[in-house]
Parts: sequence; structure tokens; C-alpha cells
Amino acid sequence: MLVERGSDIGPGITCEGLSRIFGTGAARIDALAPTDLQLDGGRTTAFVGPSGCGKSTLLRLIAGLDPPSAGRVRIGAETPLEMRRRAGLSVAFQDAALLPWRSVRGNIALARKLARMTPDPAKVDDLIATVGLAGFEDRRPADLSGGMRQRAAIARCLATDPQLLLLDEPFGAVDELTRARLNQELPALWQARGVTAVMITHSISEAVRIADRVVVLSPRPARVVADIAVPLPHPREKGPALDALIEEVGAALARHAPAPPPARIAS
Amino acid sequence: MKRNALTRRGFLATGAGGVLATSLGLHPALAAGTVNLQLSWLHSVQFGGSYIAKSKGYWSDQGLDVSLTPGGPNAPVEPPVVSGTALVGISAADYTAAAVAQGAPFKIIAVAMQKNPFAIASLPANPVREPKDLEGKKIGMALANTPVLKALCTLNDVNFDAIEVVPTQYDAAPLVAGQVDCLLCWATDLPVAMTMKGLDPVTMLMADFGYAVQSQTYIATEDSLANSRKELVELLRGEIRGWADYHKDTDAAAELTVKMFPDAGLDLETQKLQAKRQVPLMFSDVTDEHGFGWFTDESIAENIKTLALLDKPVTADLWDRSILEEIHAG
Amino acid sequence: MILSPARWRRPRTDWLRSIATALVALIAWEALARALAGTYLIAGPLEIASYLSDHAGLILRATGWTALAAAGGYVIGNLTAIALAAVAILIPGAARLISSLALIVFCLPLVATGPILRVLWGPGLGPQVTLAALAVYFTTFLPLQVGLRAAPPNWFDLVRSYGRGGWTALVEVRAMAALPYLIAGLQIAAPAAFLGALVGEFTGAERGMGVLTIRAMRSLDVAGTWSLATIAAAVSMLAHAGIGWLWRRLDDAPPPLILASLPDARTDRRWATRLNLILVVLVVIALWWLSMEFAGLNRFFAKRPDDIWAFLVTASGAADHRTTLFAALGQTLSLALPGYALGLALGLGLAIALLMLPALARAIMPLAVALRAIPIVITAPLVVVAMGRGATGTITITAVMTFFPTFIACYQGLKRTPAALIDLFESYAATRWERLTLVQFPAMLPAFFSAARMAVPAAILATTTAEWLATGHGIGGLMALTASTSDYGMLWSSVVLLALVAVAAYAAIERIERAVLRRYGAEQLVR
Repeated sequence: MLVERGSDIGPGITCEGLSRIFGTGAARIDALAPTDLQLDGGRTTAFVGPSGCGKSTLLRLIAGLDPPSAGRVRIGAETPLEMRRRAGLSVAFQDAALLPWRSVRGNIALARKLARMTPDPAKVDDLIATVGLAGFEDRRPADLSGGMRQRAAIARCLATDPQLLLLDEPFGAVDELTRARLNQELPALWQARGVTAVMITHSISEAVRIADRVVVLSPRPARVVADIAVPLPHPREKGPALDALIEEVGAALARHAPAPPPARIAS
Repeated sequence: MKRNALTRRGFLATGAGGVLATSLGLHPALAAGTVNLQLSWLHSVQFGGSYIAKSKGYWSDQGLDVSLTPGGPNAPVEPPVVSGTALVGISAADYTAAAVAQGAPFKIIAVAMQKNPFAIASLPANPVREPKDLEGKKIGMALANTPVLKALCTLNDVNFDAIEVVPTQYDAAPLVAGQVDCLLCWATDLPVAMTMKGLDPVTMLMADFGYAVQSQTYIATEDSLANSRKELVELLRGEIRGWADYHKDTDAAAELTVKMFPDAGLDLETQKLQAKRQVPLMFSDVTDEHGFGWFTDESIAENIKTLALLDKPVTADLWDRSILEEIHAG
Repeated sequence: MILSPARWRRPRTDWLRSIATALVALIAWEALARALAGTYLIAGPLEIASYLSDHAGLILRATGWTALAAAGGYVIGNLTAIALAAVAILIPGAARLISSLALIVFCLPLVATGPILRVLWGPGLGPQVTLAALAVYFTTFLPLQVGLRAAPPNWFDLVRSYGRGGWTALVEVRAMAALPYLIAGLQIAAPAAFLGALVGEFTGAERGMGVLTIRAMRSLDVAGTWSLATIAAAVSMLAHAGIGWLWRRLDDAPPPLILASLPDARTDRRWATRLNLILVVLVVIALWWLSMEFAGLNRFFAKRPDDIWAFLVTASGAADHRTTLFAALGQTLSLALPGYALGLALGLGLAIALLMLPALARAIMPLAVALRAIPIVITAPLVVVAMGRGATGTITITAVMTFFPTFIACYQGLKRTPAALIDLFESYAATRWERLTLVQFPAMLPAFFSAARMAVPAAILATTTAEWLATGHGIGGLMALTASTSDYGMLWSSVVLLALVAVAAYAAIERIERAVLRRYGAEQLVR
């Protein structure tokens, strides 16, 4: 159905000494400690870590939306900018970033327009159905719930057949039931085609269920504290193997969790 | 009932924000014995005689407290006089005629400028010395004054259509900058300003060419003439004494004006020149004989004729000399 | 929605750039003045500086008096605006009536209100203070109306969930949510108050900058005229900047500029609209009548509604009166409309151009914000001097008056496109043109329309002021003329007609705005 470039394998990602610092002096915030990373092409990597640790910063650096303070990013042999210029990557933003004055269909079609691709209404409608928004094609974002907006944003991401998908908490606002379904169905859309995907999530089970590799980040400044392979075939069903991995990721996160504040609850 | 109450509250609240708030309970009441003289323009030596009367006590001697209220570009004289805020206003025969036509019960009770100060100012290189010279010229003036120019043309057999009217602000700059050939203005202000700047303007006084409209006229309502005669007599008596002093020493009047109104931005030398220039408009054989402010039946007849040309027909009823006569009798 | 850009304190280099721009402008000005020396049209900065030092005391006193009146009017006008907005919130049924009346009163021409205020107040600062208050209340009231509703609905649900009512919501939620909007209004109001006070002085003031301005223009005192204009501009700019500074001390977020009109929940109920219209007309007539009677104003100059009805409809010369009036109105509109459209187009165009050239924008913006503050009475004669006394001059003045607020609103609107949407476009490496046309322009529309609406009374004011002070044409000239011929029936008819035109134009823009924003800004309409 949507498989078009199944034969190519998406590009790998290389981060060399990548770091990001915001502000100077007293206001200085180290968002990302110098990091070396090698992400394999055609694979899905999930980053998990405590909130505010710098996961989104890492994603924006990979997309080239923010300049790194040091180090560099290569996507295959290209820079992020070159990649973006030829519409090789798509980003699903945390807050959906839909244009309020465009319908669901219009928002998804916009991605193809921006990527200088020919309009493909059939594909757009297909994607809308896949993310479960059939019947809402002509609605404005204001008419949708938070979860529906995120699904529309994911459909938009996929509309340009990117080789690299960058997903920032893509299912954060989606309800539990739909989320479980999307976790099953959506990754198949890109994984079968060999798309490289980088996903940020705070849900350990989601990470383990979707990704081929889970990278655990420490509290700010983000450092890689664990790198766990998920050598399970898709689709992944609940079972002891999955549970063990979930436990392993959870333990890694807990080891590096920030110290809880002293309990001050009286009585 | 509830709906009603809401509306009323809204009504009152809105009123508080609007004009109503400013008007509620704001009847400008004057203390007994105090009267307002509404001037027709900003303070300047144009009203020098009044300042002398004020500072030398010509009114307070009679037990009258006169307050001199300045005018301005958005301060017509007639409303405060009609509403009684001012006992007397400084107007002009044509303005008064128009107001009377609109139902204002005014009388002209004295005339400061026997001769109308309207003039055509031009530069010596391209002068307008008589009405005929206007033909083929560009004249800068307020469009509102078109009837004035038309009347001058009619009185002097000048072809009005041969004059190009350029609407301008009341400002000498267009003439100096060469945008127009001449200006319709008062002989006592723009030409004075130009002279002070070292230019030497040619001034053709329209009154010398048959334009007979008394200016700086003192107007009062019929009601005041009937019920406030005492104050009117005292006010004009003070004015006459003040202007007599002015006639004797215009420089002193200019100095007094500048001293009295330090915030008016007046230039002493300009005021001195203006004070001199308005003497021939205000004083004549008639005033030498009858005193300042007097007007003759002949002058009334000429005014009726010119006002008719201005499309402001009036009768001799517009004038009332009884106050002046009472002063002279006493 | 209010979106704060990441950085709002400008780095120092931008200030340096602004200073450099200002210096270049000063030098060009001086050069132009020297080139035109002897024509008595322009005074250069050096001449102005020497004039100011020679007349320091006089100018200082005059500025003090005008600023005093302006400050009084500013306080009264803004307090009135706050009270009106609060009442409109607490009594929802009265909101529309209050807004309509507020707009009508704001549209009353200064030429007409001045003399009446002088009669009411007598000598002193009364008319200046009142006109200053009238000049400011609407520009504060309007953003406040929006701001008081600019809180998320669940905040009100929170208040309600504790069993508290509208008053608590007003104090705890609405007041705080409205604060940035109030500041935006207060900032615009500062130069407007100064303008009101200046015009108030034309009604026969003893002292002040208005008095000096008239004097200087009449005595060929070019240095004086330009010095006064400079001071008036400087005072207005300082007041404008001062309030901005105060706000930055209080809060890091800039005042919002996206001022969408109130969404009207009942647009489909046509009878409600009609009922409101009838109510407004009745209330206006009643207020008009009652205020005249209360103040005991003489019918000779203070006409009542029935006088105007007679003047325009039943009196013997009524047809002639109508002809004169509509001819003058036609003349005015034939200049006001092109000027208004030109101002909008230029404002929008420059905003877009500067968005594309950010370096230039950083240098020009502070100047543009400052220039917006210069009062019309001061600019009108200067523009006429530069552009001539024909249609061009009047159109230019109207365009200038419309241009500055539109430009600033559009530029800020363009800059306030949500960062996430910009990121989205970045992620496809979209061109600047795509970003402009597909995101920034639609995101700017609410700001553009709010500016276009607010500019309606301003444009009419500008045209009639130019006609009044400079050309003598049109309805502005007619109103000036009626004062000298005591034709107060004509004056009041002009006032009624102008107010009607202004209100109708405002409503028309609002209609277009709703239609466009329904398409392009459903989410951006402030609730």
C-alpha cells in the first residue's frame, strides 16, 4: 500500500561530540553534554529520559533546527540542512504544529507542497484513514482533540515518504487505547520501508514496543547512560521478553533519576 | 424588570464615559460683579486697549471685575455670548450678521475697527496695489473667505474668474515660497510677520476699496442690553479709556501685552509693529470726535451694502448705539 | 492567543544601529533644510536646537501646561475605559450597547466638540483635559474588552467550581489576563492624550504648546513651528517608551498586539442585532438630548436631535442642506478612502519587506515605533508643506496616520507566528516566501484587521483635520466654515453624518474581519 521505497534503507545518523548550551554566565544551561552517537540506518531508535533532560534538544540538533554549540551531525553523507532541502526528513512536533486555518487534509497536503512533491490526494486520504481520522478530513485543528491533532501531524510526517522520521513524543496526547493501536500499526508503515526513525518518548513500554534500540538519557545535561538493543521481531506482543526489556530500561532510568526532594509531608 | 434595570445601569455607566460626564453640573457660574469679555483670538496686542483697562483699573474703579477670555482657531465667539458665559464678545459685522440670521439675538454695541483689516499682501516684485492687479494672479486664502474676495471684485469691477484661488492655511509661507502671488489676510498679522523677517510686503487694504465691514465689533445679547445695562456701560467705558491710552502710546501697550502674557510666545518688536499698524484701522476723525468705539449712520449704511454683497442681508437693527450714547451722556 | 517571542529585550547592537539610523536621518534633515533655506518651509535640527535654547523657559512652561492637561485626561480617560470594560464584563447584556456608544463618542469630530466644551468649562484646562480623555478612552477600552476575555475557559470553570461568581472571576482571573492588553492600550493612549490636549488648546487656551504652535505658524516662525513639533513628538515618544519600559520592569512578556474583535456568539440571531441597533440609536438620542438639557446649553449652538431632523428633513432649505452636506462628505471620502487604503497597503508592504530584511528591520523598528507617537496636528501642517495643499497632501496625511499603526501591528503580527509552525517549515527547508505566504501572513491577519479597524476613526480624523487646518475642502472645511457663519445646524449635521460614516466603516471592517478570520484564524479569535 504505502510501501514505495522499501528497497532503500534509510540513512544512518552520526553525532560527533554533539553538545548544546543555552545562554551564558549565570543563565547558562547545559542541555546536552558532548555526545557521540551512531544510529543505524533503517532502524528505529527511541530516546527515553526524565522530563526536561534535553531529549527534544537532541532531536532538534539532528534535524538541524538548532545549531549545535559544538560537534556535528551527519545523516548518511549529508548535513541536516541538505537532508531537509531535499525533503528527506520529516519531524512530528510535540504540539502537532498544525496550521489553524487549514483543514486536516489541507495540513497533510501542505507537507507535500513544501517538499515540492506533486499533490497526491489519494495518498493523503489513505494516511488520514490509517491514523484513524476518516470523516475528519475537512475539520480544522480547533475542532480536534489533542490526540487527533497529533495523529494528523503523524500522517503529515508520512505524506512525504521521508527517509528519516524524527518523532517528538508523537503519541503524548493520544488516549491509551488509540495509542496501543497506533503503536502497533504506525511503526509498520515506516519500518517495513526501511525508514530511519528517531523517537522521543517518556513511555518506556512504548519505546520498547516500537524501537529497535532504546537509548536512556540522564537528567540535564543529557548524557547517554544506557544503550539497550531490542532484538525482537515486529509486531511485538506482550510477553516475558518484552517485560524484561521494559524492566531493564526502567532500572537504567531509575539509577540516574534525580534525587527526590526530602519528604515534608506532615502527619 | 431585571432587563430594565440592567439597561439603565449600562446607560448610566456609558454616560459616565461620554460627554455627559463632562456636562453634568458644570454651569460656569461667575461671581457677582464679574463679567467675561470673550476675545476673538489668542492674546496679543490686538486687544491692547483691554489689557490697559484691566491693568490700570479702569474697570475695578467702577466696581466691575472683567475677565478676558482668549479665543483660538476652534473657539467661536458667538456661543459663549449667546449662552451668557460672556457678557460681551469681540466679533465682526459679517460674523454677527450670520449669527443673527441663525437666530442669535445679538446687537453690535461698539466698533473697535472702523476699517476692516482684510488686505491683500504681495511681494514688491509682483505687487497687488489695487483690485485690478488681482486678475491673472494666484491668491492664497482660506476657501471660507471666497465671498469676501467676490465682494471686493464686485465692488471694483474685477473679473473674479480671472483670479486663481489656492486654498492655504493662514500662513505667509506660501507667498514667501512663491507658491502663490498674493495672500488674503489681515493687514495686522501676516504682513507684520513678513516685515519682521526683513521682507517688504505690499499691503492693499480692502477697506480702501469699498469693502466696508466693521471688525472687532463688541456684541451683546438683547437680554443683556435690557437687563445688564450697568455692566455693559461700565465695560465699554473701561474699554474706551483703555484704548484712548493705547492710541497715545502703542509701544507701551505692546510692552504691557508681552508682560501680561509671558506664556503666549509674543515677540515685543512684532507686537509694537502690529500695535502701530492697527491704529489707522481703529482711530479716525469719527473717533477723534466721538471717542473710541463710535460708529456713524453712514458707516452702518455702507456695512449694510457690503454685507448684502456677502449674502448676509441685515438692517440697521443690527446696531445699537444706546450704550455708547449713555456713556457720552454721563 | 498571545505568543511571546523568545527574546524581547533587544541586544545592544540593535540600539546602536537605531542610533546610527537616527543620525543619518538627522543629517539628511539638516541638508534638506539648508537646501530649502529662504523658503520658510523647513527648519533643520541645528536651527531647532538654537531656537530651543533661546526660548527654553517659554517652551518648558508651555510643554508643562500641555503635559499637565494631557496627564489629567490620560488618567480620567483610562479610568473611564477600565470602568466601562468592567461593567461590560459584569453585565454581559450591556456589553454591546456600551461598545457601540463608546465607538460613537470616539468618532465625534474634535472640531465640533471643542467649542461646546469651552462653553461648558469656561476658561482653564477643562476642554483640554476632556479632549485628552476622549482621545484615549477608546484605545484602552478596546484592547481591555479583548483582554478581559483572554483567559482559558477552564480558569473560569475553576472559579465557578469553588462556587464564586463573576466578580471573583473579574478580580482573580480576568484582571490579570487583561493586564498585558491594558498596557498595550495605555501605550497607544499616551501620544493620543497629548494630541487631545493640543487640540483642546485651540478652543481658546491661555497658554500651552497648542497656543504657541498657532502663533508660530502665523508669524512665519519656521524654527518655532518645527521646534514645537519636535518637542511634541519627543514628549509623545517618551511617554510611549516610558510605559513600555515600565511594563518591561514588571513583566518579561511584551504587550500583545493581536487584538481580534470579540467573537459574537449571536451573529446568527439577526433580530438581536437589529434590536441592539435600535437600542443604540435610542440611547444616543436620549443621551444627546439629556446632556444638552442638563447643561442648559442654548439651542443656537447646541442643537438637539429634533433640530437636526428639521435641518435635514423638514425645514424649507432641507434639500439644499443635504446637497451641501453630502457634496462635502463625498469630497472628504474621496480623499479619506485612498489615503486609508494607501496607508494600510504601505504599512502591510513595509512590514513584509522588513520581515524579509531582518537587519534593516532592527534599525528601523524603534524609529517607526517612535514616529507613531507624533501627533497629527503637528504633522498635518508639515506634510501639507511638503506635499502641497491639493489632494496629495490630504491623502498623504491620512495615509501616514493609517500607516504607522498598521505597519507596527503587521510587523509584530508577522513576528509572532507560533515558533512551532516556523519549525515545521524549517524542517522542510521551505523558502522564506513559502513561510511568509503560508504561515506568517495568515497568522498576521488578526493584527492587521485590528489595526485596520482602529485606523478608521484615525483616518477620518486625519482627513478632516487636514481639511480643517489646511485645505478648507470637504466636510472638515465645512465644519470650520460653519463656526464662522454660526451655521450650527450644518455643524451638527456634519457631526452626526461623520460619526455615522465612521461607525459604519468600522462595522464594515469588522464584518470583513470576521469573514476572513473565520477562514484564517478560527483559533486566533480571542474567546
